Amino acid sequence: MRRRITLLQHASTPYDPSQVHLSTDALSLRTLDAAREDRTTFALDEIPSELRKVLQSCYQLNVRWASERPAEAPAPFASRVSSGLHVLFTPGEGVEGDGASLCQTLKQVFGDEVDCVSPEASFVTPPILSTRFAASASAQFYTRLPSLDSLVAYIERGVCSSSSDPDNCRQQAEALRSADSLDINYDSISHALTVSGFWASAPEGGWTEEIAKPVREGTDRIEVGLLGAEPAREPEEIKMGGLLGVVGNDDQLKPTLFSFPARHHGLPDEAIYSVSFPPPTGLHPTMAITLPQASLQRPPAPPDATCALHTYLTLPSTIFGDKYQLSTTDPLFLSSHNLAALRAVAGETDLEAPDWSVSRWGSTWLLELATPDPTTAEEWNVTVPLHLRYLQPSATGIRSAAVPWPVVFWACTAEDGTKMGVNPFDRANLGWDGLFGPRTMFYQLHPAPQPGAPLVEELAVPVLRLENEGLFQGKVIELATVAVISLGFVWVLWKLGMVARGSGGGRKKSGKTE
Amino acid sequence: MASVFHRPSLIYGAAIALRLTLLIYGAWQDAHSAVKYTDIDYLVFTDAARYVARGASPYARDTYRYTPLLAWLLVPTAAPGPFFFAFGKILFALSDVIAGWLISRSLVSSYGMEPARALRYASVWLLNPMVANISTRGSSEGLLCVLVVALLCAALSRRVVLAGVLLGLAVHLKIYPFVYAASIVWWLDRERELSATTTTTTTSTSTSGSGNKDDGVGAKIISFITPARICLGLAALTTFTALNITMYLLYGEPFLQHTYLHHLSRIDHRHNFSPYSSLLYLVASGDVQTGWRFESLAFVPQLVLSVVVIPLVLGKRCLAGTMMAQTFAFVTFNKVCTSQYFLWYLIFLPFYLPRSSLLRQPRRGITVAVLWVVAQALWLQQGYNLEFLGQSSFVPGLFLASLGFFAVNCWILGIIVTDVGCLSGQTERRVKGRVE
Repeated sequence: MRRRITLLQHASTPYDPSQVHLSTDALSLRTLDAAREDRTTFALDEIPSELRKVLQSCYQLNVRWASERPAEAPAPFASRVSSGLHVLFTPGEGVEGDGASLCQTLKQVFGDEVDCVSPEASFVTPPILSTRFAASASAQFYTRLPSLDSLVAYIERGVCSSSSDPDNCRQQAEALRSADSLDINYDSISHALTVSGFWASAPEGGWTEEIAKPVREGTDRIEVGLLGAEPAREPEEIKMGGLLGVVGNDDQLKPTLFSFPARHHGLPDEAIYSVSFPPPTGLHPTMAITLPQASLQRPPAPPDATCALHTYLTLPSTIFGDKYQLSTTDPLFLSSHNLAALRAVAGETDLEAPDWSVSRWGSTWLLELATPDPTTAEEWNVTVPLHLRYLQPSATGIRSAAVPWPVVFWACTAEDGTKMGVNPFDRANLGWDGLFGPRTMFYQLHPAPQPGAPLVEELAVPVLRLENEGLFQGKVIELATVAVISLGFVWVLWKLGMVARGSGGGRKKSGKTE
Repeated sequence: MASVFHRPSLIYGAAIALRLTLLIYGAWQDAHSAVKYTDIDYLVFTDAARYVARGASPYARDTYRYTPLLAWLLVPTAAPGPFFFAFGKILFALSDVIAGWLISRSLVSSYGMEPARALRYASVWLLNPMVANISTRGSSEGLLCVLVVALLCAALSRRVVLAGVLLGLAVHLKIYPFVYAASIVWWLDRERELSATTTTTTTSTSTSGSGNKDDGVGAKIISFITPARICLGLAALTTFTALNITMYLLYGEPFLQHTYLHHLSRIDHRHNFSPYSSLLYLVASGDVQTGWRFESLAFVPQLVLSVVVIPLVLGKRCLAGTMMAQTFAFVTFNKVCTSQYFLWYLIFLPFYLPRSSLLRQPRRGITVAVLWVVAQALWLQQGYNLEFLGQSSFVPGLFLASLGFFAVNCWILGIIVTDVGCLSGQTERRVKGRVE
């Protein structure tokens, strides 16, 4: 097991060397104000056997979770995914795995709200635009997941009990409850499982804790970095400076300064966006993405790079886009929504199916957005017309559909030969990055909801109102329908009967009138 | 005013001008507004035509649920340019006008109407803005309507083989015209059968003492099977089968699935005019309580009326009136109903109106028209509340509105049935005699 703790401080944050102290036995943090990434790498034999079996059936497995609370994402941790749990999965070749075991494990680990039967039935297949980019997963799953409580309980129950240092394990697990995002990566080449939590800010009072040197000194290792971003020389690079050390090995932190090309870059704090569904939403809600002028400035990519603003929608099965409508090249439609083009779509795009007959979790949409002349000072509104599926009846006549905010980012071409992988903080397999070529740089906009509001929009979906008692019972609808149709049927039959009976007379009568 | 109808060129000119104006206006709106004039279905057709033009299957396009013939017909729309894009609409609009011309012609030839009067009634279709609007927006109903009118004309003028071919083609195109088989078969040779029946009854009464009852039934059956009826059946069956086999060989399973099987398996859970729509939503979502599965019997009243009782009772009196009543019953009792279905029976209006009580008693006629429109408007308002305002108007709003619309339709159907029942079988025969 290897652990890497990265503490990232903003240049303006006051820092006192006594706040981080490394001794030969432990690292102690005192009231340190910093963003933090805590990454633990497990070898296969260090994880519970049930989990190991599932992992061994994967060629690659990436789990991405983001909290519904808005959080900063400073470089080099600038990349984002929509709030909720994303699972990207590529099955191992020739591996005899019953697909259901992955879903069972996901339910065990993340809770029963993970509505997953098997990868075949529940996952969607993302379009692979660039086959060169082998990192694209072959199947993708998403579910709303407001908290990691279930995961924490699973780790405490299933992992910590057999751990060499159960207390430390439990403490680490507990800390995940306040994480802003979580990554789990496994691939069959390295045979290693990494779990990374990210906290955009320190808990109240700052980070204060003692991290003891590993119990099993031969195999385990704890690295610590106290870093801050420095101005980089090349636009595609990030430069970090600060102190590094290995707990138990070094008796003091050593200064460091390094730079690397990065896939994901941050943008200034003013580069924000907000998402809303202007009422009335009806059955055809329109997602509105509002961008202030600061978000429309070309990112600081190299001058010869081509940049375009994009959004990536993760839509649960309750809501969907019309791929024929959105993939149009009609400039009038596109400009009326400030869209440029639909670049990729995957998943449940059936225009007619009700929610209960849709087995997969939903759909993903990569849209390129139109951008105005950057000198215009006005807000820019992008709208995406969407549609709701019919949902199950309910007693109130309304059901709720939760839609996570999409991510919005600039994608810029990077020079050939840019080695993104050398970045020690590189993050790929987010669902949307695989839809671009490998030499692409992303500049993330910051989601900015109303104070206290989550990064999820709740839509009220009108459904058939159905009560157990009273007037709006299913039985009433059934019987009233049958009664009215029978009456109508009998009425017409009776009229026909009158005609048939009076046929002789009818003929005479018409004979008279003519 | 009447003089206008003495000049067909004026009426057809106006009908064509109306459609041309709408076509040009539609092209303008499509080019200048994000809200399109063109119907979404037309985009489905043209996408499918593009697939066909590239040698692919039209079923590669989602929600293409029609015969490949339609996509073939529209292959020119795959060519670049706005004219070619509008080709299908032009074709549909032209079908409308031809349907109107056929109506007027057959009103003269088969119903002995004065040409000017015939044209006046044909104008109910030709100059109907709703009809012109639907076809210029790119809905294929116009194509179907011209086939149905041609079928009626062929039957009325006893071109039996042609009628059979048209019937087969129409059923291949849109299933529901199969109900006309019943009325046309019943109507054809009704004269001969009538005389046969009267002779058998007279003989059986004269020989009532020794006469065997089975002889009467047997004779009836034998007299029912006439060469014309066999011809019609064979022509229809051959056309229908040949088309389906060809399409199946060309496009395989997807053709069967999307053109026919889809209609058997579909559950129309979404709101529409049908009285069944709330029940079907309930059933589809698995929330039914009685478990009696009424909805699976929905075809019973629909087919009993449109295929059996209406043709039997009315078929020998007036073919056009019977077909109108059949279509009206089929649409009213259908499990799914949208406004384009109304075109299916509106095409018969010029045949029905001249001798209907709706014109003889203007007050009744106005009541029918007002109720039909108001019942739809009430439903549309509930639909708007649901779809655009997000109100949960399924019950009681849409539920009651669709039942109300159904009740109005049943009442209207009762009037149509009574009106057609008052006609004598002589009308069409007499005139036919004159033509021959």
